[in-house]
Amino acid sequence: MRFLQRLLIYALLALGAITCLIPLLWMISTGLKPIEQTMSMPPTWIPYRSYVQKDGVLTEIQPADVDKYPAAQIVRKTAPRWENFKNAILAMRMFGTYLQNTLILCVLTVIGAVSSSALAAYGFSRIDWRGRDKMFLVCLATMMVPFPVVMVPVYCLFRWLGWIGTLKPLWVGSFFAGAFNVFLLRQFFMTIPKDLSEAARIDGCSEFRIFWQIILPLCRPALMVVALFQFMYTWNDFLGPLIFLTKQEDYTLALGLQFFQSQHGGTEWHYLMAASTLVALPIIVLFFFTQKTFIEGISMTGIKG
Amino acid sequence: MAFLRSRIHFHASSPRRHLFATLPALLAGLCLLSFCGCGRSIEEKTADGRIVLQYWEKWTGFEDDAMQAVVDDYNRSQKRVFVKKLTGLGEVERKLMLATAGGDPPDIAGIWPSTIPSFSEKGALTPLDKFIKEAGIHRGDYIPVFWDLCSHHGFQWALPSTPTSLALHWNKKLFREAGLDPNRPPQSLDDLEKMSERLTIVEIKRGGKLVRVRYPDLTTDEQKAKDFKLVQVGHDPQQPGWWMPMWVFWFGGNLWDGQRHITANSPEFIQTFQWLREQSEKYGVDNRRGFGASFGNFQSPQNPFFSDQIAMTLQGVWMYNFIDKYTPQMEWGAAPFPAKDPRAHPLVTIVDTDVLAIPKGAHHPREAFEFIRYVNQQGPMEKLCLGQRKFSPLLKVSDEFMKSHPNPYIKTFIELAKSPDAQYAPRLSIWGEYNDEMNVAIDRIMALSATPQQALDAVQGRLQWKLDRVLKRWDAVKDDRLKEWSDYDPR
Amino acid sequence: MTQGEKRKLWVGLAFISPWLAGFLVFTVFPVCASMFFSFCDYDVLTKPVWVGTLNYRDMFTDSVFWKSLYNTLYYTMFSLPLGLVIALIIAVLLNQKLHGRSLFRAVYFLPSLIPVVASAMVWLWLLNGNFGILNHMLEWFHIKGPQWITDEKWTKPSLILMSIWGCGNTMVIYLAALQDVPRALYESAEIDGAGAWVKFYHVTVPMISPVIYFNLIMGIIGSLQVFAQAYIMFGGGGPNRSVLFYVMYLYQCAFDYHQMGYASAMAWILFLIILFLTWVATRSTRQLIHYGGE
Repeated sequence: MRFLQRLLIYALLALGAITCLIPLLWMISTGLKPIEQTMSMPPTWIPYRSYVQKDGVLTEIQPADVDKYPAAQIVRKTAPRWENFKNAILAMRMFGTYLQNTLILCVLTVIGAVSSSALAAYGFSRIDWRGRDKMFLVCLATMMVPFPVVMVPVYCLFRWLGWIGTLKPLWVGSFFAGAFNVFLLRQFFMTIPKDLSEAARIDGCSEFRIFWQIILPLCRPALMVVALFQFMYTWNDFLGPLIFLTKQEDYTLALGLQFFQSQHGGTEWHYLMAASTLVALPIIVLFFFTQKTFIEGISMTGIKG
Repeated sequence: MAFLRSRIHFHASSPRRHLFATLPALLAGLCLLSFCGCGRSIEEKTADGRIVLQYWEKWTGFEDDAMQAVVDDYNRSQKRVFVKKLTGLGEVERKLMLATAGGDPPDIAGIWPSTIPSFSEKGALTPLDKFIKEAGIHRGDYIPVFWDLCSHHGFQWALPSTPTSLALHWNKKLFREAGLDPNRPPQSLDDLEKMSERLTIVEIKRGGKLVRVRYPDLTTDEQKAKDFKLVQVGHDPQQPGWWMPMWVFWFGGNLWDGQRHITANSPEFIQTFQWLREQSEKYGVDNRRGFGASFGNFQSPQNPFFSDQIAMTLQGVWMYNFIDKYTPQMEWGAAPFPAKDPRAHPLVTIVDTDVLAIPKGAHHPREAFEFIRYVNQQGPMEKLCLGQRKFSPLLKVSDEFMKSHPNPYIKTFIELAKSPDAQYAPRLSIWGEYNDEMNVAIDRIMALSATPQQALDAVQGRLQWKLDRVLKRWDAVKDDRLKEWSDYDPR
Repeated sequence: MTQGEKRKLWVGLAFISPWLAGFLVFTVFPVCASMFFSFCDYDVLTKPVWVGTLNYRDMFTDSVFWKSLYNTLYYTMFSLPLGLVIALIIAVLLNQKLHGRSLFRAVYFLPSLIPVVASAMVWLWLLNGNFGILNHMLEWFHIKGPQWITDEKWTKPSLILMSIWGCGNTMVIYLAALQDVPRALYESAEIDGAGAWVKFYHVTVPMISPVIYFNLIMGIIGSLQVFAQAYIMFGGGGPNRSVLFYVMYLYQCAFDYHQMGYASAMAWILFLIILFLTWVATRSTRQLIHYGGE
């Protein structure tokens, strides 16, 4: 009975896991196919080339000629078209620029988010000042304000500053501590014993030095979480670039990919999937290297919500 | 913890206490600095001191190459400015509006004329009348519709680059297979419908076996049950579906009265929608959807017209290029798309053109116009239009151009553009909304979830309400605007 | 206030100054400005014109506004509870001594990591009525798959399906909460002879109720603002505007039709709806939430 139950759990989990993976595998599979095989029925998972025996030699036949040979004679061999990736990059034309912009933004926003929210979180957790907790509630409440509410005025603000069509609207904001990151770090800062700061204060240490030399080194994991989340956010962000960027040479990868899809005349599926894979891959790789931090970070967000 | 304490002790007496105090100041300074350092792109100049003109365009591929060749010629022809073209912009209109609103527009923008009313009324474009007068350019130089497409409220907002008109393209091989005369295109819309049925092939189960049958050869019951799969279709009004509301022109109708009223539920429109709806009634809603999902991209060999899935299609002068590129062996023809009443309207077409405009706030309007003017001279214009294999919007055309033009039907397209029934999108600033609304109405009738009357009444109600609002606002600012435009002085 | 308190206040304010400045510039100012714009006719390039409550009155008669609201609520009604429940089921299954647990966790989490642009493309392809793998798999069970993307009856379910695929984030939050439930509680329940279901219902759910509440609130805020995937997959709102969501229509009004005033009014109504639903959710779950350790 117990064994059966466990088997059932495994079966269920495996089924779910496969469901989760199918879209991704389908993306990669399509990304490696030639165009005819993307539109074949029934669909194929593994890209192939067709061959026939001609004068004792296995010769490749073009897809258009497949019908000319009896099905039994045709030999299929697995043949992923790696060149699709190269071609997709070429077809996107500015892939390098997109990547560069995205990385610049990621670096700037990560620096901005980590430094500013660490400062603010420290102010909200390790110093007792009058009205602090009320202010923190206000901070939390800002998470409720939907972006669309501020979208138009913020656009007008950046327009007034002459920043539309530059990368600035996409990173300057991160230097002003977002509520979510502050909340996350504050959770962590609260777990550090108060005595530590008290002792330092008695020794005449300045508040900033306590922050810089005692608290921050202890909070490296939490800072990593903020950095990771911010990186992800910037990498994936679509609406921001959509509104604030006007020139193709400023596009991020996310916007560039959408632009590639909506291009005049349409884009072929195998290239689109290859390009999508390229955009998703760095995040997946990053995840596998930092899995622990990731999961811990997400776990932190829910605690005592 | 002990080691931590000792570290604190060690540092406590160091004299860098004020560091903390300076931090907020530092941050504030940083903000100020970044706020003041204006993001506006600094005026660009080339190494040899030329002014750089930013030019945004939407083309890709060989169409882009053709424009680049003209730009290169222009850059070589003089030493004062350098035109830098940025191309392949999807949604160029939205981007342009954002950039113009943001105060950093390009100097020259390649846009569609259908956006001129909205952009000009919103103050996003520069009126070109003074420039045009100085340059001695006249309406009489152009095929009239292409000039008119660039004007609004009596002002000229752009000049054409490469124009088009639409014609019926048909696949002669499929005609022959259907037993139709491959050299005789349909002569009226009813004729087209009849031929379309003949050209439609379905896959149906008969006696447990899948067979392919031409639509007219189906039994009445089979036609009624619609339990088949479309394999080939004679004509699909939703392919490519770029001009759906404008089908009304073939029924002798219009989208508005040219003054203050839209005519979305006119009898002609209802007739048009009835015709569209019949497609779904005849071939089945889901069958048509399934057929539509089997198409590849427009610019690919899987385009339904190239892959023998659709026998007749309404397309522009550019279609030749793609046939040439993807199915060069195809036997095809182009002819005027027949109207419901071909005697009253023998040559109905939709005309459109790419245009070059100068956004409001462009840094170098004068230089930008010099370039536009250059493109609108006969020589460069013919080079551009030949490169894109379109016809020239200018009335004067060299024999050389006509002789070397690869499109065998180019004369048909020119003739269509000059026809009195050459129609275009209404010159309404709310055309974007109108078009969106019409397409929703079409979704509804194609899904058979509304009658033409219901769907069109909804459009009429909503859009007239919108137009009234826009007109009210326009009436209030009209005089100021017109004065501002006629006072515009580039110097 | 004593000298020390005053000093602390200033030091505290100095530390939170980045947040404070951002709060003023990117929240207080825009919220006020948005309020102002919502009473104006404003097309970005020309000056705003005061029109009173016209935008709000228009909204009531604007059928597209109601449609977008309906679409959004429909999406939220299905994707949110389904996502919450499925994520909880997975989390409960994973919260056992299993082989390859962290691998499973990683796999379930993976979809929520994929950049939304990429996942939208993938789903668009996956759901293609003719060549999509989903319809092909349905055929194994002799089901004729619908035209997911072009049939207005199926566009919303498509997006709901897609949102459930990406519920890994919620699942990980549950999982963390589940791991914090003291084992002793289960053991004592077992002594009382409780079965798996009773344990789940009487121990697990109350113990993680704050986290369920948290996910619910975050879910409400998130799904009412659904935008990117629908915008990328359906552009203008899909067949017969069946997936024209609230924020998509708002975006259209603001950046396609340049009606910034109307868009601002819509944004405010969205804000009120979110506040209202959050309030309802909080009210109706107050008794059910069990704050353990506090």
